[in-house]
Parts: sequence; C-alpha cells; structure tokens
Amino acid sequence: MSNTPKEQNSIPTSKVQRSSRFVKTGIKVGSNYIKHYSKKLFNPDLDRSELNEDNAADIYESLSELKGSALKVAQMLSMDKNLLPQAYVDKFSQSQYNAPPLSGPLIVQTFKKYFGKTPEQIYDKFNLRSTNAASIGQVHEAELKGRKLAVKIQYPGVGDSISSDLKLVKPFAFRLLGMSEKELDVYMREVEERLLEETDYELEIRRSVEFSNACANLDNVVFPTYYPELSSKRIITMSWLEGIHLKEFLATNPSQELRNTIGQALWDFYNFQQHELRAVHADPHPGNFMITPDGKLGVIDFGCIKEMPDDFYSPFFSLTSTNLLDNKEETIKAFRLLEMIHPDDTPQQVEFYYGMYKQMISLFAMPYIDANFDFGETRFFDELYAYGEMISKMPEFKQARGVKHFIYVNRTNFGLYNILHELKAKVKTDTFKPHVTEQFA
Amino acid sequence: MATIEGIRKAYMDFVLTEGAQPKSVYIFAKKNKMTEAEFYQHFGSFEALEQSIWEGFALNTLIEIRGQQVWPEYSSREKGLSFFYAFFEQLKSSRSFAVYSIQQQPKSFTTPRVFEKLKGVFEGFAQEIIKEGIETGELSDRRFFSKKYKDALWVQFGFVLNFWIKDNSTGFEKTDEAIEKGVNVTFDLFQRSPIDNLFEYGRFLVKNGGMQEKMGFGQF
Repeated sequence: MSNTPKEQNSIPTSKVQRSSRFVKTGIKVGSNYIKHYSKKLFNPDLDRSELNEDNAADIYESLSELKGSALKVAQMLSMDKNLLPQAYVDKFSQSQYNAPPLSGPLIVQTFKKYFGKTPEQIYDKFNLRSTNAASIGQVHEAELKGRKLAVKIQYPGVGDSISSDLKLVKPFAFRLLGMSEKELDVYMREVEERLLEETDYELEIRRSVEFSNACANLDNVVFPTYYPELSSKRIITMSWLEGIHLKEFLATNPSQELRNTIGQALWDFYNFQQHELRAVHADPHPGNFMITPDGKLGVIDFGCIKEMPDDFYSPFFSLTSTNLLDNKEETIKAFRLLEMIHPDDTPQQVEFYYGMYKQMISLFAMPYIDANFDFGETRFFDELYAYGEMISKMPEFKQARGVKHFIYVNRTNFGLYNILHELKAKVKTDTFKPHVTEQFA
Repeated sequence: MATIEGIRKAYMDFVLTEGAQPKSVYIFAKKNKMTEAEFYQHFGSFEALEQSIWEGFALNTLIEIRGQQVWPEYSSREKGLSFFYAFFEQLKSSRSFAVYSIQQQPKSFTTPRVFEKLKGVFEGFAQEIIKEGIETGELSDRRFFSKKYKDALWVQFGFVLNFWIKDNSTGFEKTDEAIEKGVNVTFDLFQRSPIDNLFEYGRFLVKNGGMQEKMGFGQF
C-alpha cells in the first residue's frame, strides 16, 4: 500500500457520477421510509428517530465522498440544528472536521502555477501532508524565518462544480427541509453567491486582513497574521494559531470562568461585526474557531462574509427591542419590510403571521432583553427547537417568506447561540447593542 | 555554430509563424544562417527534430521533478503524478507548438511518430517507478500484468494530453483534475485489490480441487 490516503482515489468526478451518487442516496432514503412505515404497521408507537438516523447515515455517507460545495452544503445543514432533527446533525457534524486530502504533487503543481516556485523554495519547511481539511481546501503546516505558518490550498475546479452541485443538492434540501421550491430558489441563489465568494481566495485574504484589523481591539479574540505576498487565487498563507477545537476544549472540562471568557469573546466578535461593521463572519461552525492555550478565542476563516444592507438590518434588529415589539402597528411594518408578511395577505393571514413571527422574534431576541444571558439554560433552546419543529410542520410555512438575507443571518446567529449553548457560557449581552429604529416610514 | 537547442527553437518559431513545416532543410538552414551539413549533424530530418523536441520536454520534466527536495520521499504513485503535473506545466509555455505538432499527426490507434522518442523516455521512467513500487510493496506484482503497467500509464498519458489540448479552463485547472483523478485510478489498478484475492482463491480451488473427493463431496 502507498502512504497516499485511500479516500482521494474515489472522489466521484463528473457531474454524472455525482448525480448518480445522489440518486443512489435518494433511493436509499426512500427505502428507509419504506422500512420505517412497514415497521410502523406492526408497532404504531415507533418514533421517527430510527428513520432519521438511517437517513442521516446514508446521506452523510454519500456526501462525504463528495468534495467542495456538496460538503459545504452538508456543513451548512449541520449548522441549522433548529431545522434538522438531531440525528442528521450528529452525522453532518462529522463533515466539519475532515475531508479526503489531495496528492503531494498536486500541491507542488499549484505552487508552481501561482508562484513559479515549489513550496520548498518559498518556505523554509513545508509539510506536504495536510493537517486539516477546510471543506473547499486543505491546510498545510509550513515554516518561514522561524515562524510557524498555516497554508490553505484550494481544491482545483471547486468553483466550476458549485453551481452544478447545488442543482444536485436541491431535491435533497427540498425533502430534508420541507421547503417549497420557490422558497428554495431564492435561498439557493443566495447560497450560490456566498459559496462562489468563498472560492475567491484573493477576496478572502483582503477581507481577512480587513476584518482582523477592524476586530483587533476586541478582548480575548485573536487572529492569525495574514501574508498577502505569500497568497494567491488558490493559496492563503497565515501564521499558525496554536489551539484546540471546541469539542476538544470541552473535553478538557474547562472552568465556568474560562467558558464565560470564550463565550463573551464569541459574542463580542459577532455582535461587534453585526452592529458596528454591518458585515459578519457568517460561518460559525466549530471548525473555524480555536481555543488558544492562554484561553483566548482564535478565529481562522473569513471565507464567508455576509453583508447586511440597511433595509434588512434596520427592520430586523429593531425587532429585538421590546419597545418596538410591543407596538403592533410598527412591528407589522417591520415584518412587511422583511417580506415576512406579504402585500397580498388577507387580514386573517396578517394576524396569523404577526402572531407566529412575533413569537419567533421574541425567542430570538431573548438574549438581548437583559444585560446578561445564560446560554447554558436548556429551557431557552428547548423552546427554540420546539418552535422550529412546530413551524416546520405547519403548512402555512411551506411557502416563501422572509428576504434572502435571513438564510445567512439566521445561520450566523443560531450558529452562535448553539456554540454558546455548548459552551454553557454566561454572557454580557449589552456590549455591542443593536442600533434600533422605533418607527418606520 | 548551431546548437541543438538553437535549432529546436528556430524550428518551433518557423512552424508557428508559417503554420507549416519548412519546404526543405535547405530553406530552413539558409533562413537561420547555417549550412545544411550543420543541421544534419544533429538531426536526420524535420520529423527527427520534432521527435527530439518532444523528447526534450520529457527529459526537462525529469530533471525538474528529480531536483525537487521532496522527490526521494515520494511514493511511486506520487512520482507518477509529479511527472504528469510538471510535464503539462512545462508544456504550457510551448502550447501553440504542441497543439500544432499533434494536429499534424494522422489519426490512428498507434503512437504518433513524433512521440516515439518521448515514449522511450516515458516508458523508461514508468518502468523505473513501477519497479520501485513493486519492491516496496506499494504496487502488486502480478504475473503477466505487471509488465503491462507501463503501457497503462502511457495510455493515461495520451488521454491527458488529448484532454489538455481541448481544455479551455482558466489555468488548465481541468487538466489538473484529470491528472489527479486519472493517474490515481491507474495506480489504484496497480495496487492489490479484491480481484487479486479472487484470483488467488480461484487458484487455490483449482489446486486443491482433488480435495472434493477426499472430503466426501464427490458423490454430489
């Protein structure tokens, strides 16, 4: 056997192969349903968790053989715990850590192509075996002038396969999330746009420098130093951030104080961006964070940035203020601005969606109401999930509602809440407050 | 005094500017201020010259990859991949000539004549890394078939070359993908696989076929 990892030999190449993989999964998922319902005939009390687990395993199995955007979608689905049953989440979470690596010679080739030099001519030391997968790329360890570096290299052809992959994933997302096709289309386009941005490493390095500078003054948040001169369209060089991932960190049984510090750093990092920069690191999956040995939060990936235009920011975050939410007329105005209530809705529908969304927003805004919030409290999350479960079953929510910006802003904030929950952190939530408007024109 | 390298360059320049081979060695020599004798000292014909250009691409590739520090650490598979990547990276700077030269070749199932020398170098290299792989146990030594490994790599090479000619993706990224996937698949076939086990099992059954009677299965 060679020491080249086995996995990379079996990535399905063409679109045809990839779609056949999805078709296979589709059939498997279908047969899982048959299995479930036939068992249910004899045992009516059977709940869906076994079915969900079977489905998640099959879907994960097929997704893990794909690279690039399909993997990204797996990661994305794994973020929305509120939208997906726990079994999916557990399986998908595996995809956040490791993906099959590329061959050494291809790495060398990528360097030759973009710098005209081999990695060993650029760095003093370069490890050809990758240490980590970054979903559309992989990370290598290097050294230059005594500094340890992390070098991120993108898989070739990722950009090209994104659009076709998304088309393949669509029927899946359709079934998994139970959304209507129209709704999905609005969101898929938004997702495609963000994903394509993520493949642009030149953009990523500009943003990384920009955001790490803008956030430099936040307490307990650290960023790697970026080296634009050692970066290109497919390669990003940054300093190596020592640390461990969230899961490993939690396994060390950290003190409540340390959990709070990390939680506070996360909260400040996100809310400073949302409310001061109006653009946010929209990829809060645990793999993008490190906890450094001196107890700080390291942020390592600025591939996905969601900018929030005023016509979204203002109505959305104003709803987090109780003053506005208590004013029914203004609240409905905000819902209309956010397209959560449509112009052609009947008065009954307006009333219905007003009630439902008000409940949702008040849940979402809970951490903002007081100056402190304990994310360790399970009650809040139970309510959140229960609410998500409930609306996912309501036929009224099978149609397109809400502007496209929601998909990433929700993902960001629920992702943040989830991490804080896992940390069981108590956080001061009034450090960077939303800018609120109490009346809409 | 004309050098081999000089004549190659002048020839490549000529065919690309004129879109065709020079009418005669005399015209070509005169245009490049040398005597016909000087030309024949190095090459017997234009075809031999073109063969030597392709051979030169392969030889330069070998010099380049063998000079890389990581070379000794590479497995056979990685050495193979490395050759493919470096060859096509190098060919990029002579793409017009490569396209011209290949398109001049008559379509056939045999190796085009301009590739004859290149094939020699390639097969020598392939043989070397395959032998190495078999010795280290990376590749599976199969009777009869292991002698064909180098041919499989050559077929793969021809495939990637054709792919590259038609590739119009930015930076020929698609070719990189074709190499990564294609060469890996080829090496997968060289490795020990379930098929080997199946063959061995078959052989075992044939050899021990006589056992059937002894064990009393004969009556069925």
